[in-house]
Amino acid sequence: MEEPRIGVYVCWCGTNIAKMVDVEHVSKELEKLPDVIISRDYKYMCSDPGQDLIIKDIKENNLNRIVVSACSPRIHELTFHKAMEKAGLNPYLFEMANIREQDSWVHTDRKEATEKAKSLILGAINKVRWHEALEKRSVDINPDTLIIGGGIAGLTAALEIADAGKKVYLVEKTDKLGGHAANIDLTFPFMNSVQQMLNPKIEKVINHPNIELFLETRIDEAFGYVGNFETTIKKENEEIQLKFGNIIVATGLKTFDPGGIENYGYGKLPDVVTSSEFERMLKEGKIQTNAGNDPRHVAIIHCVGSRNSDFHEYCSRTCCMTALKYANQLRSALPEANIYEAYADMMAFGKGCEELYLATSRKNVTFLMFDQKDNLPKIRKADSKHNFEMLIEINDKLSGVTVDVPADLVILMVAQEAHENAKEVAHAVGVSMCGNAFYIEKHPKLDPVATTTDGVYVVGSCQAPKDIPDSVSQARAAAARILASISFGSVEVEVTTAVVNENLCCGCQTCINVCPYTAISYDEEKQVSVVNEILCKGCGTCGSTCPTGAIRSRHFTDQQILSQIEGLLSTVLELEEA
Amino acid sequence: MSYQPKIVSFLCNWCSYTGADLAGTSRMKYAPNVRIIRVMCSGRIEPTFVLKAFREGADGVLICGCHPGDCHYHEGNYKCLRRYYLLQKYIQQMGLKKERLRLEWISASEGKQFAELADEYTESIKELGPCKVKEVMEVLT
Repeated sequence: MEEPRIGVYVCWCGTNIAKMVDVEHVSKELEKLPDVIISRDYKYMCSDPGQDLIIKDIKENNLNRIVVSACSPRIHELTFHKAMEKAGLNPYLFEMANIREQDSWVHTDRKEATEKAKSLILGAINKVRWHEALEKRSVDINPDTLIIGGGIAGLTAALEIADAGKKVYLVEKTDKLGGHAANIDLTFPFMNSVQQMLNPKIEKVINHPNIELFLETRIDEAFGYVGNFETTIKKENEEIQLKFGNIIVATGLKTFDPGGIENYGYGKLPDVVTSSEFERMLKEGKIQTNAGNDPRHVAIIHCVGSRNSDFHEYCSRTCCMTALKYANQLRSALPEANIYEAYADMMAFGKGCEELYLATSRKNVTFLMFDQKDNLPKIRKADSKHNFEMLIEINDKLSGVTVDVPADLVILMVAQEAHENAKEVAHAVGVSMCGNAFYIEKHPKLDPVATTTDGVYVVGSCQAPKDIPDSVSQARAAAARILASISFGSVEVEVTTAVVNENLCCGCQTCINVCPYTAISYDEEKQVSVVNEILCKGCGTCGSTCPTGAIRSRHFTDQQILSQIEGLLSTVLELEEA
Repeated sequence: MSYQPKIVSFLCNWCSYTGADLAGTSRMKYAPNVRIIRVMCSGRIEPTFVLKAFREGADGVLICGCHPGDCHYHEGNYKCLRRYYLLQKYIQQMGLKKERLRLEWISASEGKQFAELADEYTESIKELGPCKVKEVMEVLT
């Protein structure tokens, strides 16, 4: 192996790192290490001038190993890989030390954080010494796409891809298309008919020559990798094999069951309904109490299951504006009725939404603000002496007065929550879920539709509560990404796979048993194990199982990690001696 | 300065490393003793890595992987779990308390759990005191 000539770059990340880590001191200290040719600190390594610094140094000083200590490699590893390539160096001769997410942001003592940074960087320097150039491999992309979920997001993505002339398999669990949007009467804030925009889409999807539709169908686990997935779908007793290059997950949401909130009496009081049930009344054009009368007092309660630490801490995003939409629809349908909006905070962001709030407040609607934490409204049945059905006790936060609001009909604005099948689908396609069982995107800001599994995209409200325009934007974005990759024709795949040293392999086949991808087979003639590098995903389990050390997990070899451990622990000892 | 243990932590890339990153993006605070090594899967963690860490002066080794059933590679964490039990027995034969090696499941959303674990584990190693493997090995060799 050539002598390592290492360049070390310590990023300030503005003040994010520099505030807690003495970056200048660290970079000066590291320069004293053997094989470290250059050690620098710079304000933003990920910026163009930061990357140019590396490129220039590589060229001028003939560097052959680079360590950048900055944010998490999950954020900028690829950025620096590209810079390495620009400088003509193999991108795998690179290692990142995470001194932001796992150091400066989580510690409060500058001295300790600085020592930890040194230790992490020493580990990285030690590891990168043993890094080797890995050649990128690319595979052809199957131009077909699997879309799971036939709601507004799934339909939009399907049409986008199919209209571009590419094949789509659209799999829907239920017997109809449209998802939750199909249950909605009008949209907020502009009161357009959902049916008018959804029905033509559904019809187009059903008749589209490039879309193969599977209703009442479930998917099995998807195997393969970006560009070349396959799965089995189950429709009644029939099993169908599908092959495709990309996956869009658009499985949507379910609504919260308010039965668990005692104060609201849902399920006990017949005129307490959820927003979904009220939406059905609107669609049928019949706003009536359970007894069949026109309600004279209607109360709408916000944040049912949302923004409440007992249920979901997040905001469901669509309910406040839907509640205002209801107030407007109620005002038109029942001009004489008293309408109450009981809210915790009015979330009115987005185009036309604050305007809707203002317009609604001028329509003789009473707004009452309750305390979501300690003082939920309490609904009780009214005595027979009253000529209305229920009374709602609300402690109005703004006036400080507790009032009894009469109601014939109460609408609970229920939260959006992750689908009950979320976990099943996550396992099938290999995406991660956050604590609320919504799917995790690759990057919350810079890559909001991709996931950490290449070729798998998440769109719509399976990723987080979302309204129709946001779901549609995501769907189109994912479709565009997929079309771009199809038109490119091939995709780069994981190169950090396992490899067998035939001279060391004793043929015990232990590795074959532990491989989750059946990527290892046995060569009877040579009596050694062989790794299929296309199937291997680089988990490294075989490497740690191999009794003779014949299997190397590229980029995470024994040598690299053992050396990293040495580096990581050396600085701490030096510090103690000092 | 009070005794500051040295702890090496092996985290799988998909769940636990992301969870530790989340602790950072959420600006949670925890003890600076835990030093993280990223591996793609907890199934990659070889017994040698753990023994090497003790040999180089670690007072504790913390392994984190995806929760059972959530492994990005289907079942690497189960492989890790089996090795963990064996390794705990092994280090006891070396004269180390089995608590010096610990395995916990941390998902990508469990930043808070990771921060709490780092603090709690650091405390437990502080109570055990320094691990003398490195010194003993230096005398022996």
